[in-house]
Amino acid sequence: MSWELIRDILITTVPLLVIFPSLFAFTTWIERKALARIQNRIGPNKTGVPCTRISLFGLGQPAADGIKMLFKEDIVPKGADRLFHLLAPIVALIPAMLVLCFLPLEFPWAKFVQAPVQAFLLDGAVIFFFAITGLNTLAVFMAGWASRNKYSLLGGMRAIAQMVSYEIPLVLSAVIVVMLVGSLNAADIAAAQKGYQWHLFTPWGLAAFVIFFIAALAETNRSPFDLPEAESELIAGYFTEYSGFKFALFFLGEYIAMFAISGLAVTLFLGAGEGPGVAAVPALSVAWFIAKIFALIGIMIWLRGTLPRLRVDQLMAFAWKFLLPLSILNILIAGFAWHVAKSGAGTGLKAVVWIASLITLYAVARGLNRISRPEAAPREYKYAE
Amino acid sequence: MSLLGGGIVKGMAVTLRNFVGSYFNKERLVTNDYAWRPKEDAELPQSAGQYPKEEGEQLSDTTTVTNYSRNFPMLLHDGKEGDTPMDTVRCVACQICERECPPQCIYIEKMYDENGKYIKSPAKFDIDVSVCMSCQICVEVCPFDAIVMNSQFELSTPDRFGGLLLRRDDLLKSNDYYHQIHPGEAAARDQRMADEKAAKEAKKKAAAEAAKKKAAEKAKAEAEAKAKEAEAAQAEGAEEKSEPEGGDSKEATE
Ligand code: SF4
Ligand code: SF4
Repeated sequence: MSWELIRDILITTVPLLVIFPSLFAFTTWIERKALARIQNRIGPNKTGVPCTRISLFGLGQPAADGIKMLFKEDIVPKGADRLFHLLAPIVALIPAMLVLCFLPLEFPWAKFVQAPVQAFLLDGAVIFFFAITGLNTLAVFMAGWASRNKYSLLGGMRAIAQMVSYEIPLVLSAVIVVMLVGSLNAADIAAAQKGYQWHLFTPWGLAAFVIFFIAALAETNRSPFDLPEAESELIAGYFTEYSGFKFALFFLGEYIAMFAISGLAVTLFLGAGEGPGVAAVPALSVAWFIAKIFALIGIMIWLRGTLPRLRVDQLMAFAWKFLLPLSILNILIAGFAWHVAKSGAGTGLKAVVWIASLITLYAVARGLNRISRPEAAPREYKYAE
Repeated sequence: MSLLGGGIVKGMAVTLRNFVGSYFNKERLVTNDYAWRPKEDAELPQSAGQYPKEEGEQLSDTTTVTNYSRNFPMLLHDGKEGDTPMDTVRCVACQICERECPPQCIYIEKMYDENGKYIKSPAKFDIDVSVCMSCQICVEVCPFDAIVMNSQFELSTPDRFGGLLLRRDDLLKSNDYYHQIHPGEAAARDQRMADEKAAKEAKKKAAAEAAKKKAAEKAKAEAEAKAKEAEAAQAEGAEEKSEPEGGDSKEATE
């Protein structure tokens, strides 16, 4: 291994390890503030610069939380599997960090790097992404199993059922973009959307994006799919028995996974780093990329403040009876549309295909929605009116 | 036909309205934004300035805590604030709340006099606020309106066990204090208690009257001459009974 290689590896990876964890701290603050405002509270607003009265809208809160986490006692339950109890948070964090490399972030310093270590240019990045994020399930079940606690185990089992179910629509909706672009390389996918040809702006792309986003919520255990860590039912589920720094690692891993999957959504559907001013200042593309990630995370927080948690049967019915058929239909439609576009059809025919696919997708979604809902008789209230 | 996903959009509009509204309408906020300790107060080190408390000052007064704040339970007595004579305490140590409390954080011992007779009062009434989850179930189940929620929140203590176990005398608060922190709720509760009392008395009176009537009818059947006297007695009795009730209802409306 030559020195250049080591230098290049450091140049490409260290910024990711610095930028995203610090964004994580900022995101926890945003989330607490936004949820507080949605519930007509104020949220953290006092902790600022230490030893002064400068409160900076409570921006010091994440740092204070971090310090608190570091100093907390690390409790491992009697009878827990100590090794796996320790490993689980690490296994949760590593894949989340790893997949960040596959995002086509065009850092300005990346041009000093020789081609082989440019993690961004890995062929088959999309496949790698899904392969590695799948490890997250393992970490969750590891934590649930090793804690020797029924809540944790229930949370872990729920997590497996949920993640395995939602992985399929997630991948199937990503398949559409891979089909249309003809490449698994994230940089190619980004390049194919240049000139505001974002996949979001086509009917099949829009449907795929919505499916992808919903499945991503489930994959990262975000509300309304937060059954594995349902506070009110399972006391935080698989990390009931975690405290101190191990808990912080889990937390970090969860947020990094949110960044990673939002980043993939941005790459696949939202034109990666494209935005006004990028042509003049190429470094802006990173800023645009991160801004788009934050837009998606903002929607996730907003949804969390809005929707109640799903029931397990609703969750499963939604994945298997609604998202899965819809994403398969979407693949067919996207393939058809691609062939129409390839055969050099005129604008009129293209417009017809557009409108027809939009109507088909909407009608099928409505129909599926009607049949996939679990039957429920009108509820009778005995005590409430 | 509603739009697919329209329910979610509607819900998100509601939360958005709350989000934006909370910046413009202070009325919406369920908690208040309390101010820093004034800067002139330089006696405490500046590093302690993150917590806006002046020495000896309680923040959990009516200016800091809104009407909506509910924290931990307290026991009501009808005496003056500060002194706690046990005969004005409403709690009768019936232990309903102790049994209903989900995390089982209430501990009650009944009071007995020297002859071992149960006097309706708690000898011990402890709430472990480190366990209490502020669910208000104890408030809901109490048939004597004896336990209500306090809004006192400054309970931090260096003593992890004893400091968070509130004893009976810590829990006792006067009805006046309750009126101060939750005026609307307290007024409604007083009104309801007065109404219930009045209804009970009316029922008692009606029962007494009915009994008297029966007796009168019996007497009537026995002897016509005696019936007149009985009726006169009944009318007198009714007059006497109606007086205290009128007084009560006046009190309640006040
Ligand atoms: S508020 Fe709930 S938890 Fe607290 S003492 Fe009352 S019943 Fe128990
Ligand atoms: S507070 Fe109410 S329910 Fe609890 S023991 Fe006293 S009277 Fe009974």
